[in-house]
Amino acid sequence: MNYIATIGEREIKVTVEEVGVARYVVTGDGKGHLVDAHQVQDSVWSILYGTNSFEVDVQRRGDEYEVLIDGDCYKFTLMNEQLKALSRAGGKAAAGKALVTSPMPGKVVKLLVAEGEEVKSDQGVIVVEAMKMENELKAAVAGKVKEIFVKEGEVVESGAKLLLVE
Amino acid sequence: MFRKILIANRGEIAVRVERACREMGIRTVAVYSEVDRHALHVRCADEAHLIGPPPATESYLVIDKIIGVAKQSGAEAIHPGYGFLAENPLFAERCEKEGIKLIGPSAHSMRTMGSKTLARKTVQAAGVPVVPGTVEPIATEEEVLRISKKIGFPVMLKATAGGGGKGLRLVKTEGDLHSSLRMAKSEAKSAFSDDSVYIEKYIENPRHVEIQILGDRHGNYVHLCERECSIQRRHQKVIEESPSVIITPGIRAAMGKVAIEAARAARYEGAGTCEFLVDQDRNFFFLEMNTRLQVEHPVTEMVTGVDIVKEQIRIAAGERLSLRQEEVKQTGHAIECRVYAEDPDNNFMPCPGLITSLRTPGGPGVRDDSGVFEGFEIPIYYDPIISKLVVWGKDREEAVARMKRALNEYVVTGVKTTIPFHIRVMNNRHFLEGNFDTNFIDRVFFPEERERELPHFEVAVIAAAVQLYLGERKRAIAARPVGTGEPVSMWKYSGRPGMPKIL
Repeated sequence: MNYIATIGEREIKVTVEEVGVARYVVTGDGKGHLVDAHQVQDSVWSILYGTNSFEVDVQRRGDEYEVLIDGDCYKFTLMNEQLKALSRAGGKAAAGKALVTSPMPGKVVKLLVAEGEEVKSDQGVIVVEAMKMENELKAAVAGKVKEIFVKEGEVVESGAKLLLVE
Repeated sequence: MFRKILIANRGEIAVRVERACREMGIRTVAVYSEVDRHALHVRCADEAHLIGPPPATESYLVIDKIIGVAKQSGAEAIHPGYGFLAENPLFAERCEKEGIKLIGPSAHSMRTMGSKTLARKTVQAAGVPVVPGTVEPIATEEEVLRISKKIGFPVMLKATAGGGGKGLRLVKTEGDLHSSLRMAKSEAKSAFSDDSVYIEKYIENPRHVEIQILGDRHGNYVHLCERECSIQRRHQKVIEESPSVIITPGIRAAMGKVAIEAARAARYEGAGTCEFLVDQDRNFFFLEMNTRLQVEHPVTEMVTGVDIVKEQIRIAAGERLSLRQEEVKQTGHAIECRVYAEDPDNNFMPCPGLITSLRTPGGPGVRDDSGVFEGFEIPIYYDPIISKLVVWGKDREEAVARMKRALNEYVVTGVKTTIPFHIRVMNNRHFLEGNFDTNFIDRVFFPEERERELPHFEVAVIAAAVQLYLGERKRAIAARPVGTGEPVSMWKYSGRPGMPKIL
């Protein structure tokens, strides 16, 4: 199977071929490597790359990967080659999203703006507290506060819609 | 000696205190909020009492509830741990009134040292050098501005009742003052139920060195040498060590003497810590005294062999200190890394949630003071600390190497933790050389990290590609038409040789 890894600006074609139980030949940048890969503990994989042993924590959100090895975090996107071609044909999603969402579970401590208020880009609009630290979240774009989805004191999940700026 | 002690805390520190009690043959009483029924401190205790809803202001911070449980359970003493009620003189007073021994200093000592402004006055009078700033809490924004201008920006805004980096803001320019003051006051209010703040001159590039002291009610004091806590993020200690690379035997003795004088001036009983800022010329200034057990106390325990929690309990029971100053020996080198449920690769965003798997480090010289276990859900309501990893080595070099390998053994999944951050610090050239100050993480470490080339991109991509491949294959099998991908009863082939195992 063919995949495209995107690291920063660079795209690398990666091919995975299963050659035995938990054994794969992975080809990237034209070089093929024999890899022995076992998922050993939840998101953690034991990888024998040749005979070099690595513990690798693979976290995925959609096509975006964050992989931890020896305390370093490798961020890249990885897509099936065919799907990538399809998504390209479909064009990019509408840009300039102005939805403010909560990056973590927590409690809304304070709304710094009201509906209808004009805000500047990068202006603090809401304060969410988690684990006793207050985090001021900012508007990504300038505009008018179209809608506020939460109340002060409300407990929100990670990714919850907080408010919309247009 | 006490027969039963209530621990008015949760998480790793409650477990730490329970461990000491168990070893001393003392029964332990835990308290817990509604989200903490499964918490480790409840499981490790002899008794446990529900004290209310999740927010600390409705459970762990409610004095009446804690006192109620102490009376109901017949606990003779209360250990407050750190945070929550640990430095609250009202709580200390209430304990005194109810005839329950608080394992810690008196309300008087707490008032003297706990109010940072009164502490400054008191130690200044005892001849201890302090950082320039105000001595009184400041009421209005105009006054904050006026005084800041007088002592000159940058200044630090500090919660009068503060500690642990809460209610603390660096203000670089006049323009930042309004929002910083609001945040500092709001944080102080929710953490300490007291929003008063004071101002200190910001000393550029200081190192943070503190002295652990012990004092008994018979007037005996010892210091247990220093801890260096300069590795901080957002003014919060994240890595501590003992000894400090900049402290000579002469400076150590001088700081120890001053710390004991400060404690004596407050008629201090129990374990306490005098924090100092050390400037580039190795002048030291008293910062504040923490009238509680410190998060980083294990570092001192590892190099001195003194169990500080047990000493606290013995002192509270009226015993004399078990050692004299000349018996205190600092042996080898210890380091502590605070493991927080925060994502170091996404701006240290808090990561409460379920710990889906856990492998804790072991081997020689390793101590993990943890408050969690596999299957525990870290609540959103409390501190993000989940564990403290502490190592001892014969010297700093061995301690750093040992910490690095222990961190590499430490695997937590389900939530992000600061373990990767600690590994990167252990690899940093300046940290290895002992060349840092309290601004090191923000000003030197992070910029260097952004430039650093990562060595194993290939392995990272390969692992992700294999995972993606297997995910797609699994979905493809699940999507097969009926008859081809149908599950087979696992009994069908059981015991028949030569047949493949159905997993």
